Amino acid sequence: MKQWQTIFIDEWRLWRRSYLAVSALVLFTLLLLATSIFTGLRMTEEQHAREHQQQEAEETFLSQPDRHPHRMVHYGHYAFRTPPPLAMVDPGVDAVTGQSIFLEGHRQNSAMFADERAAANTGGFGSLTPAKVYQLLIPLLLIAIGHGVVVRERESHTLTQLLSQGVSGTQIVAGKWVALASVALISLLPLVIASLSASTAGDSLSISLALVATYALYLLVWVSLIVLISTTTQTRGVALGLLVLFWITTAMITPRIGVASANATHPAPGKIETELRMYADKRELGDGHNASDPAFEAFRTNVLAQYNVDTIEELPVNFRGMVAQKNEADLTELMNQYAEEKMMQELHQSNHLRSFGWLSPTLATASASQSLASTGLQTHHRFLRETETLRLNFVQGLNQVHIDKLSYSDDINRNNDEESSRRVRVSSENWKVLEDFEFAPDQAAERWQAARYPLLMLLIWFVAFTVSGMYCAARIKP
Amino acid sequence: MNNALEANSLSINRSGKPVLNDISFTVPAGEIYALLGGNGAGKSTTLLTFLGFLEAASGSVSVQGEQVNKNVKKAREAIAYLPEAATLYGHMSAYENLRYFLDLANAKASDSELNEALDSVALQTAARSQHMVTYSKGMRQKTAIALAILRDSPILLLDEPTSGLDPLAIDEFNRLARKLADQGRTILMVTHDVYGACQVADRIGLLRRGKLVGAFDRTEGEIDTETVHRAFAERAST
Repeated sequence: MKQWQTIFIDEWRLWRRSYLAVSALVLFTLLLLATSIFTGLRMTEEQHAREHQQQEAEETFLSQPDRHPHRMVHYGHYAFRTPPPLAMVDPGVDAVTGQSIFLEGHRQNSAMFADERAAANTGGFGSLTPAKVYQLLIPLLLIAIGHGVVVRERESHTLTQLLSQGVSGTQIVAGKWVALASVALISLLPLVIASLSASTAGDSLSISLALVATYALYLLVWVSLIVLISTTTQTRGVALGLLVLFWITTAMITPRIGVASANATHPAPGKIETELRMYADKRELGDGHNASDPAFEAFRTNVLAQYNVDTIEELPVNFRGMVAQKNEADLTELMNQYAEEKMMQELHQSNHLRSFGWLSPTLATASASQSLASTGLQTHHRFLRETETLRLNFVQGLNQVHIDKLSYSDDINRNNDEESSRRVRVSSENWKVLEDFEFAPDQAAERWQAARYPLLMLLIWFVAFTVSGMYCAARIKP
Repeated sequence: MNNALEANSLSINRSGKPVLNDISFTVPAGEIYALLGGNGAGKSTTLLTFLGFLEAASGSVSVQGEQVNKNVKKAREAIAYLPEAATLYGHMSAYENLRYFLDLANAKASDSELNEALDSVALQTAARSQHMVTYSKGMRQKTAIALAILRDSPILLLDEPTSGLDPLAIDEFNRLARKLADQGRTILMVTHDVYGACQVADRIGLLRRGKLVGAFDRTEGEIDTETVHRAFAERAST
């Protein structure tokens, strides 16, 4: 047996016989199992619930009685973002961005029902997910049981005894590293199970394994750092202090500094200010409900010329429907500009924050994890774009029904009496302009692409700590 | 006779301060050399230098004719080291400690050889399977001596080997050391036990504040307790 293997076995013997190590391992194992099971169940339930709600929303829309098509434009429809299977590991931005959106004419609504806003008393603390446990708490477990792996030998002078047996520093540190790495890798077992079950639920197997590999690499970054600090310090107290300080700095403080820096570098215009600006722009486009609005004067002239008639009453189509359709198209173009501007600004902030992964392996891991799980900001933006397409298509579809199936004269006289009102009702068969909506997770290639940069950061963290550890190990002194 | 250990004009600084100052001595193979000195004389530093844990400011140390700084691994393989505070693992029994360190040193020993070594240091049989955290200092010292014996190394460096031992165990240890030397092992021990050194050593060096201030050779009839004790009191005590 090689010397590092003997040392590796002894390290496990020590942990088995240490109440602290056993207690810490049991506690964290229970925590991991609990969060994995609860998050898995919650996300699976969410997935089924949202699929059901989506179906129900579509059925509700389609079951509406005959009525004026523009009433259906305002009746609206809901679109739900179904979480990808890997959300059971990392729900990502799902908890803060909202999971459903109300789609209606002339408006782009925000997503609603974010868990963290819906909870009664979160006090700023999000729920504990497997991703958060691996990112924040497992490093603490590794610090608790690993900070003394080498420095303990120095403090008790057994390092002198080890070295005097002809064991090299590299062999000693390698044995300790492998022992601590084995704890880290064993802790990944719940993640492996969750990821494999995600792949059986439809997520890509390669992506599921990549997610496991990401967390393995992240925990090995911590293992290398812990062993490096333990090798280079003189007392356990100093080693523990330095490691906890590093954890606080990189896992707690740096992300917040990153967020503040992103906000300062790419400041978001205020919601009220933006809405006032957009409202002013919208007014210039005219009111689509009023075909006589001067904003549509040129449009009317063009349409009359196109159909070679003198009045809108002579048109073979409903001019009010045409105005509504044109106004919706113009409004959508305007609202998309604002939406893209906002998404671009959020993306800049997100990229800025992601670059803080060079200062915090936790941030790099969080970024890679969300990208691989397809629960990041870009996926949410795709959801917004896809729902906007859905919204525009069904609104314009209803406007087309308005144009083609309602006469202009009936339309303008719809409020005269009961019979007039009945005449502008179109068949509910027309509501089938609504398309089925199913939000699919990102493709595997897109996820790889998004995760590549933070994974590179993580790899560099690992190489830096491991190479430094090897250098110090080769020069270790009692 | 070949020299198993050799220090040539050795000077060592620790934290910028001189700890050993131009000392030279040799230990021929199969002999016991005792370095006597008070606290802070540089005795333990001398041993650590032979193990390659400290670098010489000037001069050199050699193990079996080869300079330590040129091949530390070879030097450590030739040496069994017994530190002043017996440094073994509290979470293991004496048997487990011995097996662990022997495995690391690539040395083999059967169960009967382990018991034989533990018998030779008079460690109680009942204690051998207990975790060493329950051991007294003397019991830990005995186990560490057993390890040094089992290593089967040609050279033993012993730092205050009788510290913590009861008088009977000290006598037992001295007899054991003599027996090992007679079997061809070289022993360099540092101690301030003048009586014990005079009992077993072939040569004695007096160390004071990093300088060798006296040397005694048994073959020259220079080693008797009274002479060495007087010299120690006059020249080596701090």
